[in-house]
Amino acid sequence: MKKIMIDPITRLEGHGKIAIFLNDDGGVANTYFQVPELRGFEKFSEGRPAEDMPQITQRICGVCPEAHHMASTKALDALFHVEPTSTARKLRELLYSAFFVTDHTTHFYILAAPDFVMGPDAPPAERNILGVIAKVGLELGGAVIKTRHDNHWVIQTIGGRPIHPCFGLPGGVSKAINEEERAKIEEIAKSSVEFGKLSLKVFDDVVLKNKEYLDMVLSDTFTHRTYYMGLVDENNKVNFYDGKVRVVDPEGKEFCKYAPRDYLEHLAEHVEPWTYLKFPYLKKVGWKGFVDGKDSGVYRCTPQSRLNAADGMATPLAQEEYEKMYSTLGGKPAHYTLATHWARLIELLYAAERMVELVRDPEITSPDIRTIPTATPDEGIGIVEAPRGTLTHHYITDERGIIKKCNLIVGTTNNHAAISMSIKKAAVDLIKPGKEITEGLLNRIEMAWRPYDLCLACATHSLPGQAPMEVTIYDAQGNELKKLSQGI
Amino acid sequence: MKTLVLGTGNPILSDDGVGIKVAHEVANQFNSPQVTVAETSAAGLRLLDSIVGYDKVIIIDAIQTKKGRAGQIYRMKPEDFSFAKHLSSPHQINLVTALELGKMLNLVMPQEITIFAVEAKDVSNFRERCTPEVERAIPEAVKMVLQELNAKHPPEG
Repeated sequence: MKKIMIDPITRLEGHGKIAIFLNDDGGVANTYFQVPELRGFEKFSEGRPAEDMPQITQRICGVCPEAHHMASTKALDALFHVEPTSTARKLRELLYSAFFVTDHTTHFYILAAPDFVMGPDAPPAERNILGVIAKVGLELGGAVIKTRHDNHWVIQTIGGRPIHPCFGLPGGVSKAINEEERAKIEEIAKSSVEFGKLSLKVFDDVVLKNKEYLDMVLSDTFTHRTYYMGLVDENNKVNFYDGKVRVVDPEGKEFCKYAPRDYLEHLAEHVEPWTYLKFPYLKKVGWKGFVDGKDSGVYRCTPQSRLNAADGMATPLAQEEYEKMYSTLGGKPAHYTLATHWARLIELLYAAERMVELVRDPEITSPDIRTIPTATPDEGIGIVEAPRGTLTHHYITDERGIIKKCNLIVGTTNNHAAISMSIKKAAVDLIKPGKEITEGLLNRIEMAWRPYDLCLACATHSLPGQAPMEVTIYDAQGNELKKLSQGI
Repeated sequence: MKTLVLGTGNPILSDDGVGIKVAHEVANQFNSPQVTVAETSAAGLRLLDSIVGYDKVIIIDAIQTKKGRAGQIYRMKPEDFSFAKHLSSPHQINLVTALELGKMLNLVMPQEITIFAVEAKDVSNFRERCTPEVERAIPEAVKMVLQELNAKHPPEG
């Protein structure tokens, strides 16, 4: 039989790269982070019925289809001028909370934990989920798989399909749940609360009790003083599904709070010649370049940012953990990028607690799940918090509801400027004149962007299934000095 | 024997969706209570969730190789990707690591996994159709999957 040598490349070819330029002294002059962007979505959506958008937009990304489905469904509520029923809102939030449990679980155990459990300088062959489970125990591994599996069942039961829900409609949802399903979801929700508590204990044992790691979390290399953004409820508590977008300044003072329909008054997008992806910034502060501080319009929306932008968590256990985190980090807001992993686990616990509240609500099994829209559609904006940042869908249609214009600001795009800054800061601190550039550098730089939980186009599925990264270092004359890569 | 045919990819991203198109066609042409045909756009742990409990899994996906010709079809095993198994990804783990994880946790893992990968030309532009080169390869890929299925699930009668 003929042996076929497979030499896969990826869609990052020509795009997904970090370029580091050195100055004459051998220190870092500048860094460029280029990510792939899928093209033509706006064009693709033009001419299609708006009701199809929750199905279509969730195909944009293989990592967070549920987030697109939800933002799109909310944009349809606004487009058709219809209020979903109370039960419909609760069912949507219940599904969305289950999604947050699965997504945050994946990120913490697959991505964040290996660096801390195995150590940031451990060889890549050990620094992965297999190493983590071998060290922390099979029982925890089983709990990770079970929590994800159970919550996917919740998503499927409420949403109608695994992975790609098909229940979001303007004015409500397409199906109700029965008592039997409700009871099972309640069991899963309670068990997810326990899992959230367990995960915070793992973080406490592994990271907080290790002085070296805590010092790294608090180090200047991984710190930026920026504005923070997140959705909040009427009490200014974190909410993933609904509310107003609140932004606080680097001192933690409320800078603005706006309804989804007003987002264009507050955000603008900066363009750089070296990347297709834009850089959103706060319009009223202005674009001052890749710098942090109060005078720069750069903002972040990550789990840490959401906690910074809110006054607290709406559930009791998560609130306790919230207070503990800020007391350990020395107050609000916390500017430590690596503490995002901690905030993510607090959000996981909140999502599970919120599931328990929602599933015990007497309305949750009501058949009153839809308000039929009767108004003429024109324009609609929907915002949710995706696990990796505020997600905005904006549609304009004709009077028949056919899409004329579509604009999306996805989670990772919001953080684009901050990610670039974090990479530069890590590179500046790590690459010093006369110091050898090693493979370990790759992971330290990864650690600077990993907390943002990047949602790259390449993170979907394509073989061989891991996202490549390439770091190229150039001298002051533009000659290539060293190239470090993985998965390319 | 319980078999899963899993088309993976993004059905609105040109050639990226070829695996799903092949799976749809297989579902039209093959019917057995022992065989489930499904689609997913997921990777890593979600892929693991999908395949647990099956004896045999056939995955159909798009691939891009350095010297590949668009529409070329490769029949592979998970081991063919072992060189990449310890690499991390922005949000997920790769297939081989997912399989190892399943074994480590004593999940009921498939005894046999076959991957059919179709060389893609365009995986960056949103479009429902594949490029002509890849579109032309679909019948051949379907034939290869059906042969694989017929070997394990001979037609009755």
